[in-house]
Amino acid sequence: MCHFCGLCSPQLLSILHSSGLVRNLWECLREGSSCPAEPQIQNMLEELLIHKPDDPIEFMINHLKQNNDDAPRICVLGPPASGKTTVKIPNALWANLIQERLSNVDCIKQGWILEGFPENQEQAWMLQSSGIFPRHVVMLYAPDTVLIERSGGKRLDPLTQEVFHTTFDWPSDPLVQERLVKPEDLSEQEVSKKLLEYHRNFPEIFHIYQKVLKSINADQPSVDVLSQVLAFVQTRHRSAAPFTPRILFFGPPGSGKSLQAALIAQKYDVVNICCGQLLKEAVADNTKLGELVKPYIDSGCPVPNNLVLKLLTERLSSLDCLSHGWVLSGFPRDVEQGEQLQKAQINPNRVFFFNLPYESIMERLSQRRTDPVTGERYHTTFRPAPTPEIQARLRQNPKDEEENIEKRLNIYYSNVKALEDFYQDAFYVNADQDPYVIFEFIESCIIKPLPCRKP
Amino acid sequence: MAAGEEESREYLRRHRLPELLHRLGALLLFHRPERPREFLIQVLERVKAGRRAEGEYPFLMDEANVEAMFGLLDVLGQGSIRPAQYREALKTLGLSTEDLELEDDVEITLDEFKEGMKKKMLESWSVY
Repeated sequence: MCHFCGLCSPQLLSILHSSGLVRNLWECLREGSSCPAEPQIQNMLEELLIHKPDDPIEFMINHLKQNNDDAPRICVLGPPASGKTTVKIPNALWANLIQERLSNVDCIKQGWILEGFPENQEQAWMLQSSGIFPRHVVMLYAPDTVLIERSGGKRLDPLTQEVFHTTFDWPSDPLVQERLVKPEDLSEQEVSKKLLEYHRNFPEIFHIYQKVLKSINADQPSVDVLSQVLAFVQTRHRSAAPFTPRILFFGPPGSGKSLQAALIAQKYDVVNICCGQLLKEAVADNTKLGELVKPYIDSGCPVPNNLVLKLLTERLSSLDCLSHGWVLSGFPRDVEQGEQLQKAQINPNRVFFFNLPYESIMERLSQRRTDPVTGERYHTTFRPAPTPEIQARLRQNPKDEEENIEKRLNIYYSNVKALEDFYQDAFYVNADQDPYVIFEFIESCIIKPLPCRKP
Repeated sequence: MAAGEEESREYLRRHRLPELLHRLGALLLFHRPERPREFLIQVLERVKAGRRAEGEYPFLMDEANVEAMFGLLDVLGQGSIRPAQYREALKTLGLSTEDLELEDDVEITLDEFKEGMKKKMLESWSVY
């Protein structure tokens, strides 16, 4: 029996072999942070294609045993005096040296940081042909004037080869202080020459490592640079693999959830599910569940959780939701419902909380009007009715009356904190902005991969 | 297509890696192990063992599953299914139906079904 979908294996297999769903199931593995199998498979495939072993099975076993998918492979590059050190040696020799060193067990297990190499296109190509691909490349940059100034103050400890600076990084030990000498090739002329060469080579390297590269401003305090670099190297790269969004929108009434849900559904072809609508549709369609739900809707009482859950699970497990993804608003309303959702094996991969100050909520909701003839929705301030004739017949939905708004808000606020704790990886949206600005923000959160979680 | 890319695709084709990864995925999803890496290592070791005829390949379906599948096809409980159904079943599992020489009116019993399935599954793994 499959724990995931409760199907017995022949049925499961026949579903698996209809390719659309296999990709969804891969994503469950990928997105589930406690079971990150997919990046491992991806890395394994990369290695297979780089080395093309004759016995792929044996190679895969060894690769998996190494367990070094999370080991960092980083290059730190930048102009002279941006914060690294350089020496002159022929390119081919470099490539061999580096490959040898990087094949050592410690590098394979723990990962490596390569500093100041490759310096030009040729070296970069040599690295690539030896099968060495950094996962992250950090390019430090700063204006030339700053760099020339910095290199003026550079001092070297001949004993330990450590680099210090007269202004920014002066050693506290007086013995070390006395030993420090000015590095040989450090006249302003020399530095300018090096900088020129660097600028010449830089665009090609940038081009080669574009996809894994990030430029970081080195003209800041070193702790700031460090924190930016760390944040970058801990991110996983955006994979080109398809991704089925399963999005939850939380927010007070009037925060724009249904608008954003509609925009997302339209652009990304996902199914838009509003819990309230779902219930009303069930009643209108006279389904079995609809009949059970009807008395609650009619009397205005909240529908019991088990009924709502049944309707939702049914809807969310239908083929279009499974293959295209979904965006859900209006459920869960409290942590208990959230837990039940989890138990029903419905796990969202992006959760958003909309934030909107009280005054804006009141403003948006209390002025909502609907035209009973056309069904068009208007707002007295933001989207007034076009003609006085229409305006005259506009009506307000009783749930948008002030005291009812208050009630709905109170319910929301009493539950939201617990929900925020329950959905820890959620994104927070400032809903007090133009809808398209909000949409772009939500989009960016959906598209970028979730950050690496350290186990 | 660049030479390097052509080479890589050829390599994948030759070793039937996409199919292998597909099967690994199916196994992972069905068993949902707590430790996927160790699980994958075990699966691959079993493929190696099967290759050397030292053990069984990591089949996703065991005998009970095959019987269950037969039961699904034999809706009326007649004890046999038609060749068309048999072919469909093989296709659903991604197994080849090429060298099946069956007349259209032959009946396939449970045992024949099981035998056929076993043979086909073995065949499909032995390319590795």
